[in-house]
Amino acid sequence: MNFEYSEKEEKFRTEVRDWLKETLPKYLSEKVKKYQRLTKEDYELFMNNLSKKGWIAWHWPEEYGGTGWNAIEKHIFEEEIVKASAPRIVPFGVNMLGPVLIEFGSEEQKNYYLPRILNNEDWWAQGYSEPGAGSDLASLKTTAIDKGDHYIVNGQKTWTTLGHHADKIFCLVKTDLNVKPQLGISFLLIDMDSPGVEVKPIITLDGEHEVNEVWFTDVKVPKKNLVGKENEGWTYAKYLLTFERTGIAGVPNSKSALNHLKMVSKKSTKNGKPLIEDPMFSSEVAELEIDLLAMEIFNLRTVSAAAEGKAPGMESSLLKIKGTLVRQKTTELLRKALGPQALPYLPEQFDEGWNEMPIGPEYAGPIAKQYFNMRKISIYGGSNEIQKNIVAKASFGL
Amino acid sequence: MDFSLSEERKMLQETVARFFENSYNDIKKRSEYLDMNDGFSREFWKESSNLGVISGLISPSFGGLGGSGEDISIIFELIGKSLCIEPFLSSGLLSSTILSSIKNPKTDLINEIIDGRLLVSFAHMEMNNRYEDHFVESKAFFENENWKLNGSKSFVINGDSADKVIISARIEGKINDKNGIGLFLVDNDKINNRSYNTIDGYRSAELNFDNVNAELLCKDELALECIIKANSAGALALSAEAVGIMQVCFDLTLDYLKTRKQFGKSIGSFQSIQHRMVDMMLEIEQVRSAVMLASSTFETNSSTRDKNISAAKNLVGRVGKLIAEESIQLHGGIAMTWEYSVAHYAKRLIMIDHLMGDADYHRDRFKLLS
Repeated sequence: MNFEYSEKEEKFRTEVRDWLKETLPKYLSEKVKKYQRLTKEDYELFMNNLSKKGWIAWHWPEEYGGTGWNAIEKHIFEEEIVKASAPRIVPFGVNMLGPVLIEFGSEEQKNYYLPRILNNEDWWAQGYSEPGAGSDLASLKTTAIDKGDHYIVNGQKTWTTLGHHADKIFCLVKTDLNVKPQLGISFLLIDMDSPGVEVKPIITLDGEHEVNEVWFTDVKVPKKNLVGKENEGWTYAKYLLTFERTGIAGVPNSKSALNHLKMVSKKSTKNGKPLIEDPMFSSEVAELEIDLLAMEIFNLRTVSAAAEGKAPGMESSLLKIKGTLVRQKTTELLRKALGPQALPYLPEQFDEGWNEMPIGPEYAGPIAKQYFNMRKISIYGGSNEIQKNIVAKASFGL
Repeated sequence: MDFSLSEERKMLQETVARFFENSYNDIKKRSEYLDMNDGFSREFWKESSNLGVISGLISPSFGGLGGSGEDISIIFELIGKSLCIEPFLSSGLLSSTILSSIKNPKTDLINEIIDGRLLVSFAHMEMNNRYEDHFVESKAFFENENWKLNGSKSFVINGDSADKVIISARIEGKINDKNGIGLFLVDNDKINNRSYNTIDGYRSAELNFDNVNAELLCKDELALECIIKANSAGALALSAEAVGIMQVCFDLTLDYLKTRKQFGKSIGSFQSIQHRMVDMMLEIEQVRSAVMLASSTFETNSSTRDKNISAAKNLVGRVGKLIAEESIQLHGGIAMTWEYSVAHYAKRLIMIDHLMGDADYHRDRFKLLS
């Protein structure tokens, strides 16, 4: 047993860190640190840098322009971009659709879309969830009716993250209404500027616009936009979800949130003394740190098995559950650490260039908002309850 | 990074596993051993020695064949799986740790321990000690060229059958001073000994001594270091033992869910029960991970060693409670019986939190070391 990174891996870490130091503008990492709203251009700037460097597609085979990194290198890369406070990589094109096209797309689709994804020419959105199809995704209602050389699409998608920036959307649609739900689904690529597509914002409980509804009314979609075979979309959809769950433990994010929590609980006071000196509070922090320490090793065990080619099965589900609970606990303790300072809500504080006096310490502003925002992580990507069903079905033999 | 065991360690694991499975094949066998004079089987202990299980806990520098964090974890995880009650912790690990960490290591005694001929218990706990390394009330004094001890020690595992006992006693200073503690070796036949069973099946003893002659092993800084090292080694071993126990609890519960039928179907088909099993599985993986980390840093500097061991033992305390209580609850009435094995596993799992520092103790130590 050996828990150390190899010399080669440490060298890779240094290379990534140096590159980030060189290319990530200070204003952007400051925005991320302060939880300010990122513009489309902010995301694109970072992703274009990655493209130029050839580091954008880490789940793709090298022949298609992928990085060829193993699971440990991906893990190191993820850690470093979080440490550097870089924006998240918008995953829909490069981490979700890309692998599906590589596995199931036609030559024409691969030749056209893959280079465009590598160069960030298209902003993709994910059209999976519907108002009536969340955990029970297969019960989706959006239809695509065969009209010879094209389909006519009608229906509604929801929770479309950053869909208001998107040029294109990949959708699960019903192409056969007379069979078992899973059997009649197809995987369709749709231009967002097609007539009949309408995007409506959903404002989430923290007051932010991140997700959307996307409505389709008699939208004409050419047949060449069908991925793989008609009515076999469910297979492709599930294949995509395995990529969505990669790195879902979010260890780097939780580590950085824990450091933030320690900073805040040193500055917050109780009876005039630093809150971190309160035995009850510091005990909660310590047990959270222990949970995270154990999860980091659990994650590395899974990552290193994946680097040897063993596909993570129920481990990804277990890590998703624990990862989201740990992450949510950090936001809970941050909120508690603030006491009454958690109350003020100044939405304009998160705009670029805001330079008024904050109420209370500057770090207090985003914390309660972030706590509410983070409730989503145990819901999306297959809710934690669904993950438990998956584990039970896959490994208990009940 | 490599999380797999070396070929050598895999062999150790297989050998010990086979031996335990043959000798401790069911809970009735354990009860038989428990009812023996010493609270364990001398014959089994001798066989453990012949097979090299005891020497697996001791470093080659002192005549053993193992002694690393990984060796300790492998052996104790299997001890947990079999719910074995032999003196591996008291003699094999705690006493040998101290005898090998003093200035002039007692290699001859360690060899006798390895051979299964000598049993030595470590007597540090007192009635008012709540796991502290340096809370020592028993007194030591030097008189007529001899060290003598006065006082009492509590909850001394295998304290009745031990040939010798290592006793911590205060040479000078206040009850809670870090300095002024000595470790002494005493022949057990000179000590007043009240023996009893613990609720989880171990044999334990209360020791009372009045001006008994003792041999000084070490004192002051080194004595405290030895106590901390022994307690940390013990906490690691118990954490690994807990992993083995948790796995058995989980497996027994899962089996039971498949066979027990109510409302015309197996109770494992109910979603509320399946979800609780996933929670158990997840937390066991967390504990396993923490124990792996603690084993891997056992030979590093003492603050990293102790921090990771405390993380593991804290988690063992919290998760142990979950697994023990859920195993009983999901089994239902059958788990309330003495006859069925899961109850004994659950009892040991809970009582592990009362040995070598509970979850609160190790959480606080983790804080200090962070």
